Amino acid sequence: MASALLAFCEWCNASAVGHAIRDSVWLFPFVEIFHLLALALLGGMILLLNMRLLGLRLRAEPIAALTRELYPWMAGAIAVMFISGFLLFCTEAVKMYGNWAFQLKMTFLLLAILYTFTIHRRLLLTADTHPRPLARALTVAISLLLWLAVGLGGRALGYVTTAVSSLAASR
Amino acid sequence: MDHFLHWLADTAFSATMRESVWAEPLVETVHVLTLTLFLGFVLLLDLRFLDVILRRRRVAEILRQLNPWLFAGFAVMILTGTLLFCADPVAFYSTLFFKLKMIMIVLAGVNVLVFNATLGKHIGEWDRGGATPWRVKLSGIASLVLWLAVVAAGRGIAYALPPP
Repeated sequence: MASALLAFCEWCNASAVGHAIRDSVWLFPFVEIFHLLALALLGGMILLLNMRLLGLRLRAEPIAALTRELYPWMAGAIAVMFISGFLLFCTEAVKMYGNWAFQLKMTFLLLAILYTFTIHRRLLLTADTHPRPLARALTVAISLLLWLAVGLGGRALGYVTTAVSSLAASR
Repeated sequence: MDHFLHWLADTAFSATMRESVWAEPLVETVHVLTLTLFLGFVLLLDLRFLDVILRRRRVAEILRQLNPWLFAGFAVMILTGTLLFCADPVAFYSTLFFKLKMIMIVLAGVNVLVFNATLGKHIGEWDRGGATPWRVKLSGIASLVLWLAVVAAGRGIAYALPPP
């Protein structure tokens, strides 16, 4: 499993996309712009849904209706973040393979997406008829903590310097 | 201006921002994560202006609901942005992207003021649950374009600054 992952990272590193973004001065920041815009949209919608769940904002709006409307947008924003993130990853995939912050970010990303589209979504869709204040507070807290961990991992990975594997010399 | 930038760079606070291992990454992290609150809510508002989302709710209600948090987010962005600027004011100001970013933020502010002084003043006349007028949509598009330019210029600064 580990060697297959490393092989995949090496393949990304050596790919035409990896080369193109690495060799260009402006492609990396250009891709980052889309990553940041999608971050704002995704984060804004998650914040708004959580605020609604706590009764802080848009109290007149049914929670289920708001959820049904915003979830497709959130999925779209996650897709943009994933594609732009993957392109950025390709420029230094082997370095990222050994970067603990990146590993942490990916772990929490998986957990955050799973949580958002299962437990969080189910509670949002049933919240109009089931008040359950404690469950709401807990669901909001877990949502914010999981996504915060993803964000912090993303910030940290730029500061973590990793020993580049000898295999990375192939790039 | 030059005089002010050098004076700022010589302050103890600026030196702390520059030399501390944690200050800059910490402030930058808050700056980036607050994008979700500030820019996220701006995007939600713009999409409402464009009649794309939250159409069941009047524009006036969405404005009333989002504005307090949007302003709080803006305050955090300005505060953290100023702190980051203080770390190396001379270098920041020397980049074209920094000047562009400031100009774009001012223009985005002008866009808000124009909306408030014109369309916002008689919102009750057009905000009746139907499609928003084209001038409201134009205001939303102007906001989207200007904030996109702010983000782009912000990224540009990071690459135009001399390496530490």
